[in-house]
Amino acid sequence: MGGSQSAFTEQELDDYQTLTYLTKKEILHVYKRFFTLAPQAVNQDKNTKLGISDIQKLPELKVNPFRERICKVFSSSGDGDMTFEDFLDMMSVFSDQAPKNVKVEYAFRIYDFDEDDYISAGDLKEVIDKLTGDQKLSEEDMQQLIDNIFMEADLDDDELLSFAEFEHVISKAPDFINSFRIRL
Amino acid sequence: MDPPCDNDGYAPASPRTEGDEEYEMVDRNNGPTSSGLRRRKTWSAQNETDRETARLLESLPSRQLESLATTLGKDTIHFKHRRMKSFHGGSGVDPSNEIADAMTNDPQFAEKTEDEIEEMLKGMTTTLSSKRVIMHKVSSRRKRGVGRFTRFKYNVAMNWQHFKYSVAEVMYSLELWKSHLKLIEGHFGTGVTSYFLFLKWLFLINIPVFLLTLGFVVLPQVLYRWLKQDPPGYIEPSENSTYVSFTGIELLTGQGWFENTELYYGFYTNRTINLIGNHNYEMKYAYLFTCGGYYLLCLIILATSILQSYRKYYIEGSGDINFYYISKVFNGWDYGITSVEAARLKHKSLFLELSEYLAGFKGKKEKTLSAKCQLFMIRLCTNIAVLGLIGASGYLIYYLSSIIRRIEIPYLIDVLAIPLCITGVHLILPILFHLLERLECYVKPKTELYIHMIRTMTLKGVTLIVLVNFWFTELSKDSTLCWETYVGEEIYRLVIVDFIFTLLVTFLFEFMRRIVANYCIKSLSVAEFNIGRNTMDLIYSQTLCWLGTFYCPLLSCIVLIKLVIIFYVKRVSVIQNCQPSMRPWRAARSHTIFLGFLFSFFLLTTVAVACGIIFVEPSDNCGPYKGQNQTYQVVTELIDSWKDDYTWLTYTIEFISSPGFIAAVVIILGMGTYYLRLVMIGHKQMVTLLEQQLTLEGKDKNFLLKLLQDVNKKNKDKKKTSRPLTATSYLSDDTVTSPGGRTFIRQVAEASSRTGL
Repeated sequence: MGGSQSAFTEQELDDYQTLTYLTKKEILHVYKRFFTLAPQAVNQDKNTKLGISDIQKLPELKVNPFRERICKVFSSSGDGDMTFEDFLDMMSVFSDQAPKNVKVEYAFRIYDFDEDDYISAGDLKEVIDKLTGDQKLSEEDMQQLIDNIFMEADLDDDELLSFAEFEHVISKAPDFINSFRIRL
Repeated sequence: MDPPCDNDGYAPASPRTEGDEEYEMVDRNNGPTSSGLRRRKTWSAQNETDRETARLLESLPSRQLESLATTLGKDTIHFKHRRMKSFHGGSGVDPSNEIADAMTNDPQFAEKTEDEIEEMLKGMTTTLSSKRVIMHKVSSRRKRGVGRFTRFKYNVAMNWQHFKYSVAEVMYSLELWKSHLKLIEGHFGTGVTSYFLFLKWLFLINIPVFLLTLGFVVLPQVLYRWLKQDPPGYIEPSENSTYVSFTGIELLTGQGWFENTELYYGFYTNRTINLIGNHNYEMKYAYLFTCGGYYLLCLIILATSILQSYRKYYIEGSGDINFYYISKVFNGWDYGITSVEAARLKHKSLFLELSEYLAGFKGKKEKTLSAKCQLFMIRLCTNIAVLGLIGASGYLIYYLSSIIRRIEIPYLIDVLAIPLCITGVHLILPILFHLLERLECYVKPKTELYIHMIRTMTLKGVTLIVLVNFWFTELSKDSTLCWETYVGEEIYRLVIVDFIFTLLVTFLFEFMRRIVANYCIKSLSVAEFNIGRNTMDLIYSQTLCWLGTFYCPLLSCIVLIKLVIIFYVKRVSVIQNCQPSMRPWRAARSHTIFLGFLFSFFLLTTVAVACGIIFVEPSDNCGPYKGQNQTYQVVTELIDSWKDDYTWLTYTIEFISSPGFIAAVVIILGMGTYYLRLVMIGHKQMVTLLEQQLTLEGKDKNFLLKLLQDVNKKNKDKKKTSRPLTATSYLSDDTVTSPGGRTFIRQVAEASSRTGL
């Protein structure tokens, strides 16, 4: 703990505390976890960028079907490599104190596979595939499921889920906050 | 307003561009048909005409506002970046300058406090590095021209912020059992974790209760006995008072050595304690008011929790509208899972659920009338059977209690008979209920679970009511006995026996089952952790604690110790012996329901204890209230004694407790509730209306887009002058009222006129 304490200046810790939803102790804890992912590289330069394979060694992400999307969304370079600040950002959004609207926004980004600001049928198909893991739903079932989802959520009938529609339905689903959370 | 396109089966008038699929407009009002698949319309931007359309689409205001639809406050919308792509990705452009400029140039900005700016920055969806840059730029630009008063406000805000942060830090390090909870969540997900969180919450509630009783009731008594060496108030000691030594059996029965200690009501004195100088400490008032105090505290905590939970999960979660598929798909994955095994099971369970539900959706056969009748008769019979069983168990308890006092039974059995009987009934009858529920053939497992919970809770409530009724009516008539102490002992025994049975059941059903499954019978599967049953046991033990603290003040301490032991035992057992469940557990809704049960039991115990205080005569030879007709008499005497000094106070209290005032309060509360309910119904209707309007607007937009494509195509085909009026002739009047629509139509006209020339 002493090592990680000296890795940051007071100003940096203050900034991080102000700009994220974590307290100083939690930030240091996050740094410790980041450090264990690649001790050599982080020891030399704390602002080093860790590759996506390193990040996915984190136990919380290893079994998550959306880990690649998560890394891409939070990475500042867009290709999945994350610096410590990106990592901290990620943990802040997934923490308990982050408000619902922030989580909903990032959830929308994560589920938008083709990054066109809409969740289309293709995006949904990918999401469902990733959710069911090794077992795959049949074509017909998949199509039925996608249609049902659009029926529930798509208010303007354009077969695309815009952010407003997504937010509208997700905020009605009560388990969202409970499931969209990673505790370190 | 009549939308331009109102008919089903709208067929496009012009030849379709390549890439479009055949489509039909589905009338939203008729709802989907379960058979047949809807085909989709695609707006493919492959041709040039379509590219123009796409370009126009991008300039629609609604598309730009898409990423701004947050509820953080309309001010923040000004400061968010207005582009389609988010800045979080690798767009290569550093937006910090733009954003910082936008922030400082806005006139409203100067009035914002640091807090609000920080909240805004926290919620922005850019990278942390750019947020830092923005923050520094903004704060450096802000530093000019602050007066002394604003600087003072700023300092106060800063100090408050620092205070909040340090409190958060302390809470973080104090957080109880964090590593255990994280381990459980990693392996089992949020369902099982909710049980442990509930346990932790009950533990935290009991701490203030314990501290209050300790501080105001137990400690003065202990000091009094210690310093004054006064004989305790149970029985005036005769010459050969027997000194009962402590044997181990007292831990089980609560009698013997424990009877003359602070554990029970009977020990407390009714005298005025005079330890320090002239200050008098009236034990009578202290005992009663402490009891009232912690009940009030628990009421406030419970009421706020249940309201918060209800609002979060039911109202905002709109209990009526059930977005089943959305929640399954988007909330289906539990991000807290860390173990591979749990992840595999989760995948499998999601797959099974989705396939099951889709299969049910496809072929829902209607039950025949005779089948329905049969089901109804079966359910009627099972409900009568359940009521009969509960009634029988209640009578059994009553009979046993009255028998035990009359006939001779060996020592240990006569005190333990009732607790054993009650706990046995609570174990066996729910199994019978399960069997009956299997007969009832509920379609949804959720309904079955709720009905089972209601039945079990009714059973527990009935047994407790019978017992309490027996104590207050029969037992209090026995004048040789200090009945309050006896009641305290009974509750103590109930708590201890319940605790032992919990440990035994955990040991037998989880540990032994794992041993058997692994080594003996391979086909028997390892147990799953039964969240419902365990949580209901917790609620029952908490009810006993509330019921008994008046008669056994140290009971809250015993329950605290019990909760800690149960936490560790269950945690070890769940990790070692159980496997994650395949069935999903809706933690959010269930949490509200469990809180509801807890609250209703709390109200029951409050009523029971209040009846005991007001209506039942305290025993003559022990306790703080000996010699009075009612325990409540001390309060009335206190109020009367104020009549001379504080007349206005007496009058106020008399007025408040008069029936007229209370009736008026009740009526006003009822009217308020009714009014709010009407408002809520109005809002719901508004929501449906607005949703319908939205769908119609969407259809408008589709129609206009199609129109635009046709117009563009026509203008491309004819190389000569087009007739821009083709587009504008459709614009009869202000039929489209949305802001995006109006701008859009103007652009349609402009675009077509441009390409036409």
